Amino acid sequence: MLLFAINVMADDSIDIRQSAYDQRMQRKQNAWLSLIPTHFVVQNAGNMGVLSAGIGWSYGKRRQWETDLLFGYIPKHDSSRGKFTTTVKGNYIPWDIDLSSISARVPKQRWYFEPLTTSLYLNTVYGSEFWKSQPGRYPDKYYEFMSTKFRLNLAIGQRITFKIPENKRKRHSRMSLFYEVGTCDLYIRSMFQSSEVKLKDILGLSIGLKFFTL
Amino acid sequence: MKKILLLGMTILLLSSCGDVFDIHPYDVNVNGETGINAKQMAKIESQFANKTTLRVAVISDTHLWLSDARDQIADVNSRNVDFVIHCGDLTDTGTCKEFEWSRDILMNLNCPFVALIGNHDFLGTGDQTYEVMYGKMNFSFIAGRVKFLCINTNATEYDYLAAIPDFDYMEEEMVKDVEKFDRTIILMHSAPYSDQFNNNVCKAFRRYLDFFPGLICCVYGHNHRDKVSDLYNDGLMFYGIDCAQHRNYRIFTITPTGYDVEKIDF
Repeated sequence: MLLFAINVMADDSIDIRQSAYDQRMQRKQNAWLSLIPTHFVVQNAGNMGVLSAGIGWSYGKRRQWETDLLFGYIPKHDSSRGKFTTTVKGNYIPWDIDLSSISARVPKQRWYFEPLTTSLYLNTVYGSEFWKSQPGRYPDKYYEFMSTKFRLNLAIGQRITFKIPENKRKRHSRMSLFYEVGTCDLYIRSMFQSSEVKLKDILGLSIGLKFFTL
Repeated sequence: MKKILLLGMTILLLSSCGDVFDIHPYDVNVNGETGINAKQMAKIESQFANKTTLRVAVISDTHLWLSDARDQIADVNSRNVDFVIHCGDLTDTGTCKEFEWSRDILMNLNCPFVALIGNHDFLGTGDQTYEVMYGKMNFSFIAGRVKFLCINTNATEYDYLAAIPDFDYMEEEMVKDVEKFDRTIILMHSAPYSDQFNNNVCKAFRRYLDFFPGLICCVYGHNHRDKVSDLYNDGLMFYGIDCAQHRNYRIFTITPTGYDVEKIDF
């Protein structure tokens, strides 16, 4: 037992006198470690396709910031073929409420409610039908107002998060179920162009899940 | 994993029901009425086959001026016309939603109508949505022994690589059902010499028009301007139809001996 204690002390002292090389390596590793995704996302609709899935990173003091990278699929419907999309999405979640503070029946630090999520995301759709900016065949500023390939979207929503008890964790530490109501730049533009277009005409619902590993 | 799969399936099922979920602006997932031109042309051809005088309203370039378009349709409804032709640009950015919005306004017409494709209707997958919602981009119908030939002239949208205007189609139409019509009206979105027309074939196009029996006149949209001109300085009149925002359109009255055109402000 004494030997073990000495051993621990020895280890500690080595740690303190870490060489510049070790410190550097440690910093490097930490930097690379921060690139490990903290969660997986799956969600439907939201102008990204019928279903999108991807990875994400949460950061900030309370992990109130998130960046998601999503890959979606638009089914063929009546078009010539199905299409793939990629989305980069930023989320900001200002508050989370431990539900045990509302009802005594809820165990502490188990269920959380996030009353507001705000998202801004850029979606790219792949295919020769779509262009980033108008091709050279058009006169200058012919369709200057848009790109058919990139869509900027806005959404707000809510979430409920379940923190899995530590002894029951297998793959994930917590899971969130969320919904979002959002729209895209073209639709917002159409609202400005015509009073006939109402907010309810341009809003779409999206439902999704997040599985947090870290 | 099984649970995730199950959830994914549920979400997929949810997405397939109704338009609560937006898949993508260019998803070509049309809700409501489709194949409009074919149905409406069948109505026109059966109702007005033997009518001697036709009153036809021509409107154009709705874009997103939807309230103006609604007023326009109400005005057309009050003027006792036989049918309506829309000269294209049913949308501004070619999204599926926009096609649905302009269609739902046009569906308020109390008479049959057909719509041509405009250059804005090509954006993204707009041309595919047009084909589902309205039909072929070149089409014709006969009413009161007059053939109404509607042709796609938006060559710039194809980078001039496609047969636009399609001369083969025009050749077919010169002789198709020739026993059923004596006169012809040509309709298009963009006129010769405009930024959408294949201007290398302007003169060839004009020559082809002479093969149509009893050529009356040509009607087009695109320029957002009401204009009457003798485009080729040879007596063939071209009528440019204004956009919805400018709140005017034209009514053509075709009589057995000639025709009359009036500009309607609303």
